[in-house]
Amino acid sequence: MRKKNIFLICIFIMVFPSGCNDRQELEQQSYVVAIGVDKAEEEDKYDFTYQIANPEVGSSSSQGGTNEPPSEIVTITGNDVLTATYTANAFVSKKITLDHTKVIIVSEELARDENFLRVLQAAARTPQIRRGVELIVSKEKAREFIQLNKPVTETRPHKYFLSILNRVTRSGLSPNSELHRFFQITEGDADLFLSTYASAIPSEEGEGNEDEYLAGQIPKLGGSPTQFMGAAVFKEGIMIDTLNGHETRLVNILDPTMDIENFITTFKDPIEPKFRVSIGYSQDKDPNISITYNKDKPSLIEVTVDFKAEVIAIPSLVDYSQNPDYQKRLINQIISELEEQTNKLIEKSQKEYGTDPFYWSLFVRKHFLDVKAYEKADWNKVIYPNAKIKVRYNLQNLEFGKMLNDTSLEEVRD
Amino acid sequence: MSPFFQAEKSTSETDMPIPTSISNRLEINIEQMKELFSFKVNKDFSYRSFVIHFNKKQATIFYYSSIVNGDKINETILKPLLEEDGRDLSNIITIENLLVLNDYKQIIKHINSGKAVLFVDGDSSVYSLDVADFQHRVITKAENESVIKGPQDAFTESLNVNLSLIRKQMHDRQLISEGMQVGVRSKSEINLLYVKDLVNEEILNNVKKRIEDISVDSIRNVELLEQYLEERPYSIVPTILYTERPDKATAYLEDGFIVILMDTSSACLIVPVTFWSFFHSPEDNYLRYLYGNFSRMIRLLCFYLTTMISATYVAISNFHSEMIPPDLLLAITASREYVPFPLIFEVLIMEIAFEIIREAGIRIPNPLGPTIGIVGALILGQAAVEANIISPIIVIIAALSGLSSFAISDININFTVRLTKFIFILAAGLFGMLALIGVFLLWFMYLASIKSFGVSFFAPLSPHFKSANDTFFRKAIKKQIFRPGQIKPQDMTKRPKDSN
Repeated sequence: MRKKNIFLICIFIMVFPSGCNDRQELEQQSYVVAIGVDKAEEEDKYDFTYQIANPEVGSSSSQGGTNEPPSEIVTITGNDVLTATYTANAFVSKKITLDHTKVIIVSEELARDENFLRVLQAAARTPQIRRGVELIVSKEKAREFIQLNKPVTETRPHKYFLSILNRVTRSGLSPNSELHRFFQITEGDADLFLSTYASAIPSEEGEGNEDEYLAGQIPKLGGSPTQFMGAAVFKEGIMIDTLNGHETRLVNILDPTMDIENFITTFKDPIEPKFRVSIGYSQDKDPNISITYNKDKPSLIEVTVDFKAEVIAIPSLVDYSQNPDYQKRLINQIISELEEQTNKLIEKSQKEYGTDPFYWSLFVRKHFLDVKAYEKADWNKVIYPNAKIKVRYNLQNLEFGKMLNDTSLEEVRD
Repeated sequence: MSPFFQAEKSTSETDMPIPTSISNRLEINIEQMKELFSFKVNKDFSYRSFVIHFNKKQATIFYYSSIVNGDKINETILKPLLEEDGRDLSNIITIENLLVLNDYKQIIKHINSGKAVLFVDGDSSVYSLDVADFQHRVITKAENESVIKGPQDAFTESLNVNLSLIRKQMHDRQLISEGMQVGVRSKSEINLLYVKDLVNEEILNNVKKRIEDISVDSIRNVELLEQYLEERPYSIVPTILYTERPDKATAYLEDGFIVILMDTSSACLIVPVTFWSFFHSPEDNYLRYLYGNFSRMIRLLCFYLTTMISATYVAISNFHSEMIPPDLLLAITASREYVPFPLIFEVLIMEIAFEIIREAGIRIPNPLGPTIGIVGALILGQAAVEANIISPIIVIIAALSGLSSFAISDININFTVRLTKFIFILAAGLFGMLALIGVFLLWFMYLASIKSFGVSFFAPLSPHFKSANDTFFRKAIKKQIFRPGQIKPQDMTKRPKDSN
């Protein structure tokens, strides 16, 4: 009995301290919110920029305001993302933890480099970096992007990234570009991966309608300099092109794996072409995609998109709500404009990119017995570029807001 | 030194052996009685001698004046004997309860339990007259197990009153109140209540045997009896239900359980029990179906919160910080920047502080009661946080776990849960979630292995028995057809046989 007790005590003495090995007090860690990756001057080395959140800013009212900045930004040259954190501990006082990283920002320069996959691979391997981290391509160097990114109201960086990424993907201006999706699509070796495109340096102002811009081109005054707009197109792990906001929206509409909610856009006024009608576009259901696979001749891809539209503004004051004839013309205008733009995008993807950004390869897989047969049929070289693609937009329901009649201009100005 | 010896000597002198037989000469009997009860020193032991009117014989009546009703003696014994004519004693004495005793052992027992004993000259049999009037509290509101909707009366420290409270609710000729005695020096009366045609005989005999096997000088009340009856005195889990509510006791009687009452406790014991007996409140059944189940749901949540929330907090923030949403994480981190202690220590400080307030709150004299609230709130809240001894979030955690523990009204299971909380916190501090889940599993397995008078602790859920399925949630009252199958009652259905 006594021996047994002594044995038990020994076990406990051994067990108790071993738990302390893993224990990490919260305040002894630094939480990295954003990681920036750039090419270093040296070959095969990279500059890692860590944006570390300062927990004392904005999170607790009782501790009193501090004059410290909301985050600390450090850049260090290293081999991979995790080793660099330990080097950074030479000047960051706490253990750098990547558990709460929200975004990985990659400069366009690095993204277009063929070594890009190598450095990102290391990030995927460490258990610290979640697969849900968003991949962002910045037009400038990632270090500059992080340094210049000074949100005005959301001063805490994690909150800023969470809200803005949520908003741009919901409104369709940028794709959902999780790290997991990047590897899924890249390793699937069939489709194109779209990554959020961003810039903190305003470039030449672009021209076009409300969403036909790339990040940095939006004409604006005030607010944060950072813009998230459009997408970077990755083929086989290397960036090849960019899509502007409008094209990204179309991709988001056609890709059933994206969760676009609703957005407001404008269409040409069919009665008075110098005006544009504002339409609230909303889509409850995923698009219906059916692929008829033909072994010897081009396959047929049929896509049906059910959507609803709500007229937001009619600057021309044409009476669309009461006149069924005008209504029909408006509907035709909306559908034909959407279809025309979509066809243009599809043509571009078939001819220029050689494969699709819509993740449609998911729907052809069921026609094959096994992976080998599917890989042999070659979606991205044979099936998609030669396929006949029909996209049909189907307006389920047109609404006119809470007002039937617009102000009659003649009556007002008599 | 010598006074000790002397004292010992003098007690041994008075410790006379109990005479074996009753003499038929009154003077001898009086002398013996006086010696037995130390008449000269024992202030409240009284006797009165008189001549019986109808046969002109000498008689003496003995009693403890403190535990008998003097008026009753006067009205029902002395007055008739002194004035009335009649054939024999039992026709003249108007008292409702008259027994004939034949030896001194019985006499001692009867006098101790508040009877008056009548000796008559020339008669070797003795009459015991029930004039007992033990003082007790009046029936008050149930204070420890209060309900909003439902009867408010509680047991009081009198067996007869308690029995009356139960019989008032259950008019069944099969409801038996069986008396048993326990204790060698001071014999106490234990009453076993059960419904004869429902109770499981095996369990009943088991309970009786355990009571018979108790060999101790005295057991004063059911609170002590509980500890003599239970199987595992060192266990963290109670196996006997203790309640002060007559309606709760009656509900269990109707289901075939056994209720144990004593004269000296304002509560009863119910056996056998399961986890559900501790989890349920009588109000669950008084409230309408939805309301009752809603309150069960809240109580279940409280069970979880009070055992787990502190431990989960320790585990997650010490070992799995990636699980915390970033806003909360940064808020906790910021509030901990100035705290000098490790997080687990912080949690233990607060939990122990809460236990201190609780313990002190029970022991504190009533007039000081309000003070404890103010001091407690100050220590727990503002002051400790402002002094940077603990972080504000810990106050929330400790308050939540403390408050939840009050929702578990049964005092026994309440202690179980509070002790478990500390086990879980220490486990979580060791290896995080891994240890917490491991210890929880062990704890749960132990609970499942517990048996109360042969009934598994989680029955009828596991192992499964036919029952009203009154476990986490209850059915509508009309659908509660079966009695709990785990105690194997003689009659399973709560409906009359012919209605089926």
